[in-house]
Amino acid sequence: MTTTHLGTPPPPTTRLAAQARALTKTYGAGSAQVHALRGVDLDLPAGRFTAVMGPSGSGKSTLMHCLAGLDVPTDGAVAVAGQALHAMDDAALTRFRRDQVGFVFQAFNLLPTMTAEQNITLPAALGGRRPDPELLAQVVEVLGLADRLGHRPGELSGGQQQRVAIARALVGRPAIVFADEPTGNLDSTSSAEVLGYLRRSVRELGRTVVMVTHELEAAAYADDVVVLADGRVREHLVAPDRARLVAALAGPGATEVVR
Amino acid sequence: MRAVLLASLRAHLRRYVAVGLAVGIGVAFVVVTGAITSATRDGLSAGVGAPFEGAEVVATGVDPRRLDRLHESAAADGARLSVVGSAQVPVRPEGGVGEDLFVGELPGLTDPPTWPVLVDGRFPRADGEALVDARAAELGPVAVGDTLRVGEDDAAVEVTVVGTSDPGPTSAANAVYLRWDDLRRFADAMYVEAVAWAGPGSAEEQGAALAAALGTRGAAESVLPAREYVDEQVVAANDGVDVLATMLLVFAAIALFVAVLVIANTFTILFAQRRRELALLRCVGATRRQLQRAVRLEALAVGSAATAVGLLAGAALGHLVVAAVRSRVPAAGLGDASAGPSWYAAAAAVGVLVTVVAAWSPTRRAVRVPPVAALAPDDDTRLTTGAGRLRLAAGVGAVSLGAALLATTVALDGEGPALLLMLAGGIVSFSGLVLLGPVVVPGLVRACGAAAARVAGPTARLAADNAVRDPRRTSAATASLLVGVTLTTAVLVGVASTRAVTDDEMAAQHPLDAGVTRTAGILPADAARRLAAVPGVARAEAVPGVVARVAGAGEVTVLAPDEVDDVAGLSLDPSVTGGIADDEIRLPASVLNELDVAGRVAVRVGDATVRLRPVIGDVTGEGALVAPAVLDRLAPQAGVGAVWIRAEDGTGGDDLAADVGAVAASYDAEVTAGLSRRDAVDLQLTIVTAAVVGLLGIAVLIALAGIANTLGLSVLERTRELALMRALGLTRARLRATLALEGVLLAVVATVLGTAVGVVFAWVGLHTIIAPVVATTPVVLPVGQLALVVAVAALAGLLAAALPARRAARITPAAGLTAD
Repeated sequence: MTTTHLGTPPPPTTRLAAQARALTKTYGAGSAQVHALRGVDLDLPAGRFTAVMGPSGSGKSTLMHCLAGLDVPTDGAVAVAGQALHAMDDAALTRFRRDQVGFVFQAFNLLPTMTAEQNITLPAALGGRRPDPELLAQVVEVLGLADRLGHRPGELSGGQQQRVAIARALVGRPAIVFADEPTGNLDSTSSAEVLGYLRRSVRELGRTVVMVTHELEAAAYADDVVVLADGRVREHLVAPDRARLVAALAGPGATEVVR
Repeated sequence: MRAVLLASLRAHLRRYVAVGLAVGIGVAFVVVTGAITSATRDGLSAGVGAPFEGAEVVATGVDPRRLDRLHESAAADGARLSVVGSAQVPVRPEGGVGEDLFVGELPGLTDPPTWPVLVDGRFPRADGEALVDARAAELGPVAVGDTLRVGEDDAAVEVTVVGTSDPGPTSAANAVYLRWDDLRRFADAMYVEAVAWAGPGSAEEQGAALAAALGTRGAAESVLPAREYVDEQVVAANDGVDVLATMLLVFAAIALFVAVLVIANTFTILFAQRRRELALLRCVGATRRQLQRAVRLEALAVGSAATAVGLLAGAALGHLVVAAVRSRVPAAGLGDASAGPSWYAAAAAVGVLVTVVAAWSPTRRAVRVPPVAALAPDDDTRLTTGAGRLRLAAGVGAVSLGAALLATTVALDGEGPALLLMLAGGIVSFSGLVLLGPVVVPGLVRACGAAAARVAGPTARLAADNAVRDPRRTSAATASLLVGVTLTTAVLVGVASTRAVTDDEMAAQHPLDAGVTRTAGILPADAARRLAAVPGVARAEAVPGVVARVAGAGEVTVLAPDEVDDVAGLSLDPSVTGGIADDEIRLPASVLNELDVAGRVAVRVGDATVRLRPVIGDVTGEGALVAPAVLDRLAPQAGVGAVWIRAEDGTGGDDLAADVGAVAASYDAEVTAGLSRRDAVDLQLTIVTAAVVGLLGIAVLIALAGIANTLGLSVLERTRELALMRALGLTRARLRATLALEGVLLAVVATVLGTAVGVVFAWVGLHTIIAPVVATTPVVLPVGQLALVVAVAALAGLLAAALPARRAARITPAAGLTAD
């Protein structure tokens, strides 16, 4: 692939990176019960950049946690990279995350005691492996981190920290990368940079990226957008334009376009 | 601010567990010391007076040769009299083994005596009857109705045991009590503590009567009222208790010092975690002074609560310990455990004071937080730096000064103010080490972590990284353990080195594992063969000898060991049996003392006489040593003068003495139980070591609570980070292992450092305390014990990490990952 593909969405594939069926997640009990997910059915195709959107409390983070094997659903089935997560115990889930999933979080992405390079290679080290040196060099090059590898997180800017997190998510060749509000703590320049890198990792490296965000600007970088409301999928838009996205976010009851 | 204080206490109660433990244990220690001291004092006071119950006046410094006359005078005056004292006399049950026991007079102040208390049988009423101490009877074993042979040869007397008794806690107890007419033959050998007198008339008249009976003419005796005498004795006994209390309090002080370290560290961590909360309070209008008051009151409240718990626990534990000792070891003579209110007050003051002092500097630092810190984003990537320059300089300075002081101490060789210099040097250099901790400790942790990483892989690297992320915290946590380990190591090394010296000393003084001799008699020809068959005997060697008459000392068994430097493989020190000149005779001190040492003595067997130079040689039992050539001249046909015995390795000294003694008894011979004496000294050293290590263990316990707390608090602090690691693929088991390893690394580093410092301290201590007494004192490293200390510390570190690791493993990977 070359940079000429930038900006051109890849064609939708039939291969699935992740799949959820009747996914339910309930917290607490009795009157304090919260239904975070109320039966989510979702197919996420491989090789695309999907944004998950929705208002606060719509269940986006819970959905991501369940898809990523960070949390166990109350009911329903999840399969990622062909593996049924709901059947795994904690140790198996941990190994699954280590080998199949990459993470980029809003904050607390990096271990403060380790250098950028140690942070990037941490999942491999936890699995007792060495990362592919060629891929590592390529990712570091693409993300512009070559001269930052020896620094600790405290010595890096917010944007640089997020780039280190992206590099970590990519060097393990994960089946799917989850990004949870990756630009939440960044200024607009750094945000654009980070989102650009996430899109390039899909376009150039062929990764699958799922990003939870509540920012319209961030979602605009994605190929597809899943809109959640009240713990259910309201719409799964493929390559939407801005107007459609805004309309979907506003919901069926809205009569006028927000913003 | 009161609402803030209460809310804060409620919210952080669990985090104060270590503070509570440290203060509580320290306070309980002091209270238990009080209980033990008061029980000992009570027991002593009750015991000291018991033998003088009923006496009106007491005489001390009485010449034992006057006792006979004294009894006659008392009978004439119609007074009752009791000699408090004893003679050490061989006592042999029928068919049993003879043993030197304390024999004294049956108390005669009242009839029947109020002391000792009868356990079985009755008190002796006629001559030829004896009362035996119940514990001695058990050991004998002797029962009511048995016959005892007290004394030896012509002076021996046969008595019948008619009762057993329990003296209670007192130092005046004897093993066998006889009526005066039976005891009088041993009067010359008696040690007389005092003579108690109860006669007719007023106290003054009785005093006069006693003085008259003594025939006092400005002699050494003094007559005084019984009550006064008992009070004096109680005071003297209590001096010993004060020494005991002081020693226990030294260990309590060590424990409390460690507590200060633990508490200070805990508060520092807690306030660092509450930085934003404190800044917020400043934002909404709390003055720095108000904040200061609030956090100090919080510390005071925690300290007071812990002190209260410590007082209760200490009181309960003190009663428990004293009750246990009283029931298990009645010989310890403890009385009631009733620590006075002053003990409780002191312990309470110490507990509160320790908390406040320890919290002083952390609270001062905590309130320096600028209000704007509340608004700044949570800066989790903050890594604290190690030591500041000032601290570094102070640390290097203190270590240098301390080292110089210690070097001076060593150069002094125990002369002059060496002991004071040593203490000062030790404290100064140790303080310097604690100051340098933030530099030294993380370096060591990294080194250990790197070594462990070869085995445990990334888990060890993570553990080491986490362990050193806050060098000050790390070094503070290890410093508390360092104190205990350093002192423990110093004691272990000191005792091991002392043991090496005393072993040599004891081997020289008691070269034989056992020796069998007969006073003025030879043994049968087959004695060596029979003794060789005794269990535990490796070799039994017959030493040629003969009974000779030494002018001025009567009959003595004269021995002539053949190969003097190595008697049949007994490997004796040549200075003991070697190089006996042809004109000398080595005599036991007891015999030598009766001779005119300056001149030669005539030694005669039958018609043969040689004149020999008497030399002291009090090492091989009752026999005297001469060169073989001398023996040849005295008696060409010598018999078996003695059997010298070497025990098999691992044989208990007392077992050997008993087994050999049983055979020896059939020859009417005595046993010199060298191995048994060496064992006894060995046992004393072992008991001292165990006691000191056990007492230091309390300081170590507090330190471990501190390490557990540091780990626990850092787990709370690192919740998000741990969640991230779990998300990235760290399994629950590995997470637990990481934390466990962190605890082990901290403990092992503290232990290794403490061992190194402890060995140096021990070396200096040996030079200062032992070297002046014994010329060469090499440092002996008890490698096994030291390795055990490290192993136990590692295990304790593991234990300390157990709870924090459990808490960490409960963190779900999803927890704390989303910032909103």
